[in-house]
Amino acid sequence: MIDPLQASVQIASSGLEAQSTRLRVVSENLANANSTGRTPGAEPYRRKTTTFTAEMDRAAGVRVVKVKDIGVDRAPFRVDYDPSHPAAGPDGYVKLPNVNSLIEMADMRETNRSFEANLQVIKQARSMVSMTIDLLRGA
Amino acid sequence: MGPVYLFDIASSHAQWLSLRQAAISSNVANANTPAYRAQDIEPFSKILDSKVVAVAVTDPKHIATGTSLRAQGMRKENSWEVVHSGNSVSLEQEMLKAGDVNRDYSLNTAIVKSFHRMFMNSTKT
Repeated sequence: MIDPLQASVQIASSGLEAQSTRLRVVSENLANANSTGRTPGAEPYRRKTTTFTAEMDRAAGVRVVKVKDIGVDRAPFRVDYDPSHPAAGPDGYVKLPNVNSLIEMADMRETNRSFEANLQVIKQARSMVSMTIDLLRGA
Repeated sequence: MGPVYLFDIASSHAQWLSLRQAAISSNVANANTPAYRAQDIEPFSKILDSKVVAVAVTDPKHIATGTSLRAQGMRKENSWEVVHSGNSVSLEQEMLKAGDVNRDYSLNTAIVKSFHRMFMNSTKT
């Protein structure tokens, strides 16, 4: 087992990494919020989701967080009546991605908040280390 | 002058605080992990109690007891909130705990520093 203070920095950075991946997925969803198919009746972009899992880091003996899987949202697509669209089906309806920008925004805020919390932990661990070093410097 | 046990206690308290910081950072990192339960380590008073009855080490081959802290002291914590995914980490609570740890650590190092200064003063002059 490594030094607990070093371990906490390691754990918090695993959190930062996981949250960054989540933000990447959110931005992918937002960027593709209007990506339809090319051929008639083709499926549009499907929203992606991120799931996390707690994983034991054997070397450090601590539980870090990892991105378990980037899955797809099974929710039905939005449809829009537009017969002139290249991706319109025989009935004239176009399938649009099942991305809801409000949900993505909420997800982004949560990512932001978790990222900030992890940064705060790193800051605290660092200040504890520097307080210990100050013991040697002072007196 | 009687023996001063301060440095021993202060160092194990510092060790305990850093372990607690590691537990907090594990909780914060897993704040969005489904089914993750928030954890905390044993309170320091419990460890202090176990230290008092520690067996004396009179030979270098003896194994010291009650002095080493382990992360097995992890216990399920009664959390403020449990969300629908089964995650019981409350970021507010964790930040509060991290603030506590930081303040205690600062107190700890300040005490050690001042006692050290006291010793140095008595040896130097």
